[in-house]
Amino acid sequence: MTIKVIMIVFLGLASGLSVGAGFVAFLTVMGIIPRLTQLTKTMKMIHSYEWSVVIGALAGVASSLRDPALNISPLFLIPLGLTGGIFVGMLAAGLTEALNVFPILAKRIRLDGEIVILIMAIVFGKIFGSIFQWLYFVHR
Amino acid sequence: MFNSIRSFCMLQQLNFLIKNHFLHILVLREFCLWEVRNLERTIYIRMRNRVQTRPNKTIYLKDAAQIIADERLLPKLQQMIIHQLTEKEGNIVIIDVMKVIQIITSQFADLEVQTIGPAQTIIEVAAKKKGVSIPFFLLIWFLLFFGSALTLMNFHDDVSMRSVQEKIYTIITGKKDAKPLLFQIPYSIGLGLGMILFFNHVFKKRINDEPSPLEVEMFNYQMDLDNYVIINENKESMKRINDD
Repeated sequence: MTIKVIMIVFLGLASGLSVGAGFVAFLTVMGIIPRLTQLTKTMKMIHSYEWSVVIGALAGVASSLRDPALNISPLFLIPLGLTGGIFVGMLAAGLTEALNVFPILAKRIRLDGEIVILIMAIVFGKIFGSIFQWLYFVHR
Repeated sequence: MFNSIRSFCMLQQLNFLIKNHFLHILVLREFCLWEVRNLERTIYIRMRNRVQTRPNKTIYLKDAAQIIADERLLPKLQQMIIHQLTEKEGNIVIIDVMKVIQIITSQFADLEVQTIGPAQTIIEVAAKKKGVSIPFFLLIWFLLFFGSALTLMNFHDDVSMRSVQEKIYTIITGKKDAKPLLFQIPYSIGLGLGMILFFNHVFKKRINDEPSPLEVEMFNYQMDLDNYVIINENKESMKRINDD
């Protein structure tokens, strides 16, 4: 029995360790945190940003493994949705950039100067796709 | 009496000092003149990174490089022909600094050429600048638009975004709702905002002066292309010595 418990604890720790390390590695490769500090000029606060990511991940773990109910106004969902959306948007942008799509595409169609238009196509596409999915697609 | 002797001594000393100083100035001046005479034999050239021009143009030295030289030499150097573009050379020509030095020293044998910066210039021959064709552009725009829309929907499905959002709604409000739009609409707008933030653009207007990652990426890509061209289009940069 004790051995079984120790095994389970060990397995849980190991899987949590690898998932957590993978999450942080992914964030680092996408370069979202440096990008945000660069935009807001808050390089000195980078350690508190690290902690915010860690605490956020733990909060996500707590709320997905347990079923807490806060029973507060649904208006709290608006900032939550907005910040969550910004985060996912930055992830997507980071991924697009890491894959080096734009430079090659812009070079091919001779649009070096007007690359913003291409970004806007993707941005509007994402907003459209997301809204379409939640308003229409999921209920068919 | 004593006082006057002392003042005489001081005068002498002062005189000596002035003479000495004068000599010093003379020496300094001589040295400066020597420097100037020596300097005017040296010219400094710095090859430009990239020159864009039209077909069949003559490339002068002033087009391909920045020059610092003696005023009397400068006009002659600037008008020196270093390359004549022809049709069959293609649209990228590399001018190596070695070729430039060779041309300069063939006309001014006693000049000393100092080179600074890049060792070659990339001449980009562009025929008349073509505009972007509108249908082609619209095709690409809608390709990207619907492509990213579908990609995002697939991503949401893949990570079970819907059930997560419904669960978040239940956590916050304690009720169940199959359509937590209060979460989903801000989420969708935030998604676009996040991408714009990342690329540092709000419709051509920058949020701050730093280059966006995309501009850096474009620059890196161009540098890679340039490096490739420098090595591969320059006949002198690679040499194969056959050992048979």
